Amino acid sequence: MSVLRPFRATDMFKFNNVNLDVWTETYGISFYLSYLSRWPDLCCVQQAPSGRMMGYILGKAEGSGAEWHGHVTALTVAPEYRRLSLARKMMDLLEFVSDEIYRGFFVDLYVRCANYVAIDMYEKLGYSVYRRVREYYGSLGVGKGGRDEEDAFDMRKPLSRDPGRRSVRPNGRDIIVSAHDVP
Amino acid sequence: MSSFAALERQLRPIYDSLDTGSNKSAVVACNKLLKKHPGNELVKALKALALVRLQKVEESLVLCDEVLASKPTDDAVLTAMMHVLRGLGRNIDTVTMFEEAFKQQPSNEELGAQTFFANVRAGHWKSAQQIATRMHKQFHEDRYLYWSVISTVLQANDTTTPSSMKNLLYKLAHRLITSGKAPSYVHTDRFHLHLSILRELELYDEARVLLDHDVGKSICAANLACDELRRDITKLQNRQKQEGEFAESKIVEKGDRNWLEFLSFLDAVFIPDTETDQSSEAFKTACLDRMEHARQVLEKISEKDGKKDRSGPLALLELEKRSRSHDVKQDDQRLLTLLKSYLEQFGDKACCYEDLQPYVVLNGDDLSSWTSFLESIPSSITTINELQRRINVHKLLRFNLAISQLTLEAETTRASLYFTEYLQALPLGANLPNTELQPADDLAILAGCAYVNLWTISKEEKYLYIAASLLEYGLLKSNASFLMRLMLVRIYRLLGAPTLALEHYRAIQTKQVQHDTLSHFILSRASTFSLAATGDLTFATECLETSQIYLSNSQETADFVVRAFTGEKYSQIPEFIAFEDHLDNSLQRDIIKMEHVRMRFTHEIVNSDIMDLELIELKFIFDRNHHDNRDFQILPDYQPRSIPNFNDQTMLFGRGEGHGWLMILLRMYIRALQQSSDLDDTVEEKLLIGDRPKLAADSGNKAPLRDRLRERPQEDLAELTPDEVALLDFTTGLADWLGCYHDYIRPPPSVVLAEAAKQSELKTGHPLKGVEIPPTPPNGSANGHHKKDEEAPAITEPPEVVVNYFNTMKARFAEAQQSSVVDALHVATLIQEAFIFLVIETLRFKSASVVKIYKLNSLVQSFKAIKTNATEVLKEISASLGKQSDRESTAEARKVFTESCSPIVTPEVTHDFILNIAKKVGDARKKVLEGVGKGMTRVCSNHSQ
Repeated sequence: MSVLRPFRATDMFKFNNVNLDVWTETYGISFYLSYLSRWPDLCCVQQAPSGRMMGYILGKAEGSGAEWHGHVTALTVAPEYRRLSLARKMMDLLEFVSDEIYRGFFVDLYVRCANYVAIDMYEKLGYSVYRRVREYYGSLGVGKGGRDEEDAFDMRKPLSRDPGRRSVRPNGRDIIVSAHDVP
Repeated sequence: MSSFAALERQLRPIYDSLDTGSNKSAVVACNKLLKKHPGNELVKALKALALVRLQKVEESLVLCDEVLASKPTDDAVLTAMMHVLRGLGRNIDTVTMFEEAFKQQPSNEELGAQTFFANVRAGHWKSAQQIATRMHKQFHEDRYLYWSVISTVLQANDTTTPSSMKNLLYKLAHRLITSGKAPSYVHTDRFHLHLSILRELELYDEARVLLDHDVGKSICAANLACDELRRDITKLQNRQKQEGEFAESKIVEKGDRNWLEFLSFLDAVFIPDTETDQSSEAFKTACLDRMEHARQVLEKISEKDGKKDRSGPLALLELEKRSRSHDVKQDDQRLLTLLKSYLEQFGDKACCYEDLQPYVVLNGDDLSSWTSFLESIPSSITTINELQRRINVHKLLRFNLAISQLTLEAETTRASLYFTEYLQALPLGANLPNTELQPADDLAILAGCAYVNLWTISKEEKYLYIAASLLEYGLLKSNASFLMRLMLVRIYRLLGAPTLALEHYRAIQTKQVQHDTLSHFILSRASTFSLAATGDLTFATECLETSQIYLSNSQETADFVVRAFTGEKYSQIPEFIAFEDHLDNSLQRDIIKMEHVRMRFTHEIVNSDIMDLELIELKFIFDRNHHDNRDFQILPDYQPRSIPNFNDQTMLFGRGEGHGWLMILLRMYIRALQQSSDLDDTVEEKLLIGDRPKLAADSGNKAPLRDRLRERPQEDLAELTPDEVALLDFTTGLADWLGCYHDYIRPPPSVVLAEAAKQSELKTGHPLKGVEIPPTPPNGSANGHHKKDEEAPAITEPPEVVVNYFNTMKARFAEAQQSSVVDALHVATLIQEAFIFLVIETLRFKSASVVKIYKLNSLVQSFKAIKTNATEVLKEISASLGKQSDRESTAEARKVFTESCSPIVTPEVTHDFILNIAKKVGDARKKVLEGVGKGMTRVCSNHSQ
């Protein structure tokens, strides 16, 4: 139960309870405005009836030709609102808009290889690993999780424009590319 | 090779230097090139840019004006100049520059767009609209029409537009938008803009046509922003019934679980069919039928969703609440039944308490049976789910506690229960990685709330010691808990341990826009803790760093407004502008500024340059329409609804400062600085570079600044502590007393301007633009003093409030010192501030020649006496703070602390752990008491003459 509404510029004044969580980054003003000035329909907020922000998703449409797709840049839910399937609902919306409005072939996202919980969730939502990107989160350095901590999985889910499921492959976990090779 | 290509090649390194920030070498390279090509505008523009970035404003101005005078049209020159002018804050000149260029090349579409954007950046919506209209006629592009439409809307919404014009402008926008060849729905954001105009003009039927169109329907189905407008218009059109049915179909058939649909669905239940009286029996019967239907729908949904979604059960609660408020309830027990079943079903979710809060504001029998239900829930906490349920039960019970249940004894029992259960539950999260939050955290937070409440009840500091220690322990287990850190920030400030507060504040790593919303935690009344006078600039630096966000806002946000125009994202433009405005005119921004000024004057030599600079800035702030973006909601609050919340309880000195506080401080400072400054409005107008702030449409009705500075509205005073009010009385008395002498001696504007021109010419070798140096008046003397013809004001005795201030406050300090460390610091720093006001207000009379010419000897004698007395008082207080600081970090002080914490000493929370915190608190207090004390002597000696 939550209100699903567009992400607005002034939400930057309200997202502290979401962004103070250690895993959520707070970027400069231009980061949020660059998304909103291009893909406002791929950015939305879940809000509690009390008005508190519960989480948000920021996305974009990119690529060319058969690589034209929706991309999930940030997906986050405040700690106290987890385990309520909010992420799923926001992903649903992003997939729907990527499909209907942008006519993308697939939706993709990057996730830390060590983040089993998230990977599991995305798999349940129909995503599969397309490739492993080496040192994608390089700035963090090798943490406890070793390579898994700084490598990312590029996960994809085909949309209706890709009925042949050409945008995914079964052996994605074994395909390794370097961070320079991805946009 | 042509000379053009050669020049091109020589320019490249200049651009590179500018890009990498090596502005000095850019200037050198430009000078070299200018020798060969003395008239080259681009090189001049680039040099001006490098100079601006080097803060060499005067030199840059000269070049800048030269280039502007040549009316450039070259793209590279225009771009460079755009940056120069932005650096100088001269957006209006940017507009003129582009307009001139476009005039010369009217067929240049790119130049047209740039001119439009320059107006957008400056917020000149009217001219923007005119340019867009012209471009539409000339270049036949639909988007220019829409640019003119949204410019008109923005003009209508601008604060500088009189409200009577608003409707007219919207009508114009409407006429423009309907004149387009293609319908607005070919483009989502054009459609959005069209709908928003129709909503404003209340043309609902016209909106309905668009909305009921197939394309309109499909846009709303896929675009949340358009759907939001649709929902809004439907409501305004009184079509709640239809909207309710639409929502029902979405909920039932499409499985939509957006809470907004549920609200529309419920709204429709209580809408009367006809215009008849709402209380009529027929309405009630119809309502009962509809409620029954709604209930069945929602029950079915609840059953279908089970634990997967809370919408159904929560909507049932909302239905019940609304039926009660409409007085059409059927079953007294239903609310309780629903509450119980909700708690049973979702009690293991963290948000359960927040979900239920609006529905558990209960009284009488309802409350007692709800309470006994909650108390009957088993208290075992062997699993994480049980723990979460237990936490929710505690919160729900606590929420409804009456004042009579909040005795010292009862709260103590509760606090120790929360804490015991916290320790008991900790092992449940033992295996989590240290980046995760502990599931038991909220029990520690509850205990923290209870101990803070004990402090408010008893005023005994020992409860704050306990709260701090147990939250520190909580952080040991749950290092990422920003909630505990924020609580600790508040508690440490109350305890007079600012460095510890700062440590925790820094640990939550606020960034970017969060500086605006969260910095109040650490910077509110931060001058109380500032050691700037001793050279420790920690808090002053914090102020400056925090304020960076306002600079990036003014540099970046407008770019995105422009981008939204280029990308035709009209729905975003008003939002971006609102965001920019909220940040630009942020209350917190100016509170920080005020705190910084207060710290600055304790640290720097008070001279006329600093005073003029601050005066101008503070005057700008004074006329702003402030927005309060501060986030207070972020603090956890589990205090009962019968008492003030945690935020209010832990405000420093029990008073939150807001707009009123800021206005009083501004009035105090502006008035003092204005009196001692030679800058009057005409001088300021001539000397000030850059654009002036826009004035709101109603600002013409305001009283003159002079009068507004004397206002003391009651609501503003309410935000001040009594000691701050005493300072206000002192500064007012001082200003009233000395004002007439300042006015009498202040040199006339022409003299001030001539002096400024002389200084500027010495610095840059060029005369000051727009300032003519008048010949020396016949009665003028060489050193710039001008005897006035009018009668000199009679010398009067200083008012009592000024004479007595320091001795009265000395007694007040002794009292505050007994009460708490922060109170002592508060009073001490305010007395020091009064002294600084005395310095500011008397600086003009420092020069012996002035005193002699104007025969002010006896005046000087009387404030000298006040100053001597003030210095003595400050020195005594300083010594007393020194003694107090020595007592803070002793074994005895630590013993008091650790003994206070005995209720939470356990095998887990050891004596040593608490001793360590006691030591930290003692050291932090010692540092600030000692520093403030030493600073006071420093301030005295800085201004000893």
